[in-house]
Amino acid sequence: MTQARKKTTQPPQTPEDESGLDRRSFLKGAAAAGAATAAAMAAATKVARGAEARAPKAEGEANARGDSFIARPGSDFMLDVIRTLNIDYFASNPASSFRSLHESIVNYGGNKKPEFLTCMHEESSVAIAHGYAKAAGKPMGVLCHGSVGLQHAAMAVYNAWADRVPVMMFAGNGMDANKRRPGVEWTHCVQDPAGLVRDFIKWDDQPASLQHFAESTVRAYKMAMSPPQEPVLITLDIDLQEEAIEGKVSIPKFSLAAPPQADERALRDAAKMLVAAQNPVIVADRCARSQEGVEALVKLAESLQAPVICTGNRMNMPSAHYLNQSENRPGLIRNADVILMLEVQDPWGTLHGMGDPWKDVRRAAKPDVKVIQISLADFMMKSNYQDFQRFCPADLAISGDAQTSLAPLTAAVKREMSSTRAAELAGKADGLKKRHQDMQERMKTAAALGWDASPVSTARLSVELWNAVKNENYCLAVSDRIAWPKRLWRTTQFTNMMGGSGAAGVGYSSPGAVGVALANRDKGILTVTLQPDGDMCYAPGVLWTAAHHKIPLLWVMYNNRGYVQEVMHLQRMAGLHRRDPKTAKVGTMIYDPEVDFAKLAQSFGVWGEGPISDPSKVGPALERALKVVKGGSPALVDVVCQLR
Amino acid sequence: MRLAVAFAILCAVLVANAALAQDAPKGSAERGKKLFVDLNCYSCHGTHAQGGGRNSEPPIPLGYPFAGFLNQMRKPRLDMPAYEEKLVSAQEAADLFAYFSSIKAAPAAKDIPQLRN
Repeated sequence: MTQARKKTTQPPQTPEDESGLDRRSFLKGAAAAGAATAAAMAAATKVARGAEARAPKAEGEANARGDSFIARPGSDFMLDVIRTLNIDYFASNPASSFRSLHESIVNYGGNKKPEFLTCMHEESSVAIAHGYAKAAGKPMGVLCHGSVGLQHAAMAVYNAWADRVPVMMFAGNGMDANKRRPGVEWTHCVQDPAGLVRDFIKWDDQPASLQHFAESTVRAYKMAMSPPQEPVLITLDIDLQEEAIEGKVSIPKFSLAAPPQADERALRDAAKMLVAAQNPVIVADRCARSQEGVEALVKLAESLQAPVICTGNRMNMPSAHYLNQSENRPGLIRNADVILMLEVQDPWGTLHGMGDPWKDVRRAAKPDVKVIQISLADFMMKSNYQDFQRFCPADLAISGDAQTSLAPLTAAVKREMSSTRAAELAGKADGLKKRHQDMQERMKTAAALGWDASPVSTARLSVELWNAVKNENYCLAVSDRIAWPKRLWRTTQFTNMMGGSGAAGVGYSSPGAVGVALANRDKGILTVTLQPDGDMCYAPGVLWTAAHHKIPLLWVMYNNRGYVQEVMHLQRMAGLHRRDPKTAKVGTMIYDPEVDFAKLAQSFGVWGEGPISDPSKVGPALERALKVVKGGSPALVDVVCQLR
Repeated sequence: MRLAVAFAILCAVLVANAALAQDAPKGSAERGKKLFVDLNCYSCHGTHAQGGGRNSEPPIPLGYPFAGFLNQMRKPRLDMPAYEEKLVSAQEAADLFAYFSSIKAAPAAKDIPQLRN
């Protein structure tokens, strides 16, 4: 771990440079140049003293404070490595265990690519990175303490894991006990930082040298981005950051691996089953990662005239396409003879339901339905956390990245399709279009219920927001907290809806939306989100992060003043226990006092308006707020809503 | 889906018209509205009993009689909590039903400008 301390006054070098100028070379060079003035010699003396900056001293041997410096710390090289990975941002709550890298980012790197995003909670840092990665298509860095910071971050890391999203985690830690300052530095050091989150990250390492750091960081990025995409963690040793660069170090050449495509023979077998099916259905979960995936799914569905059910975790299929029949799900599953599941996290739950509390299983599909799974689920090699769901046998299980496998599957379908069969399938189109139209009308009729209710119905809120953004290149940053947008909004782009948290860990929605908005800022995409009040209360400091970094996001509060899902759980328990159901709001509702989210936003420097309970006032408030957002700043409108 | 069915059953009752209420004991809509709030029914079914559900499931067609409504309260199918006699008396159930029957129908979607797009 201990590095020989060699100092240099070299200016910042490009990542391609090797950093090998040692103290002897520096002194020799200075003398040869005839510049060994008294001042230069004094500086050289300070360099020499700085070489021992973090080395433990015998009693009475301590350096005079302010009498030493380190011209080329290891953290500069770490930043050089990070820059080769094209990481634009680091989200972080500042901490001493990575103070050297922090300083390198700000001064050596000029705080650009990556830029340091000031966060107020490590859970917010990771959730920002989570949302950002889905919208940007690449990871962000997160810096945190290896001990207390990682503990704060853990829930958000699990969300990213369950949502199959890459995050580059870096955790500061001091491995050499001989160099830890007494007190807090000991409290904040840990033998195995990654142990806290190893159950839900893809890979981690604790580099013991700068060369080790370079290779492991490039490896970590590559692994995080290879499907199934997941968070990774690199531990940053304090001494490695703070001591001078030693000897020659180099940065490995970086390239991403091509995503794994499913086996061609297996795809041919799948194509045969799908072409022969009378009622094929496609269920798409975390299938698309980009617009390319959306367009590939449309082609596959059209080739089969197969209705598609989108679970909502990704925008897989345009809502206006007649084959997007997500709201006809029960009937489609019930009548299907072949179901193609694309990166479906819960295949068993797709085919079954389970009663609560008696756990009676109800089959939702035909007993003899044929199931084809294309997924990388078998590559999720962790067992402690149970997000892999109940085991579900498949008639044809194919390991492969779904998005990558769509085009070859479509090609296989076309090869298996006779002209007679193609004509038969074409004849189904009119009926499917009619069912799609009926589905949309049914949704509108349902949305009309309670249209003028106060507090505002969730359907009304969603429709008012839709009318405010429908002529924009829009993005709904968190699209699973209210079901209505998925039912009623017109989606055409992958970026229109960014899904949810992954593990349903409360606290994602607000920072996740900030991350999405950050990624969209430079693309000209207008970002809005429907924000639950309970989630906002977890770490509201993210409002300040958005204000400080000028991240244009419109929070529309879905303020039902409670953790409402839990209300019915309490009611049901009371009913089962033959006790009073009227107490269900105890411990579940947020009242007395009610939170004023507009004032909360204003206190963090975010434009805020509300609370609004009159549905007729929602639309005008959204217009005012969107002017602020289009001007480049965040805004919040607090709407008091029906509970669901 | 389970909740959708449970919700749909109650939702059908919520928007039931006066004719359907004829088979119910005489109840007070005013008392029913208060009870609806006290029992926290609004957490799933909305403060105006307009429906909502965990995922805001749309309703199914009308046609549920009082007897069916009472049965759903006492021995609910699926996710709805049970309300036995000692918690909600027969008279209170009638009050609730009277309240649901008094609620005006929602406007037609075609008459709502925001829903035309």
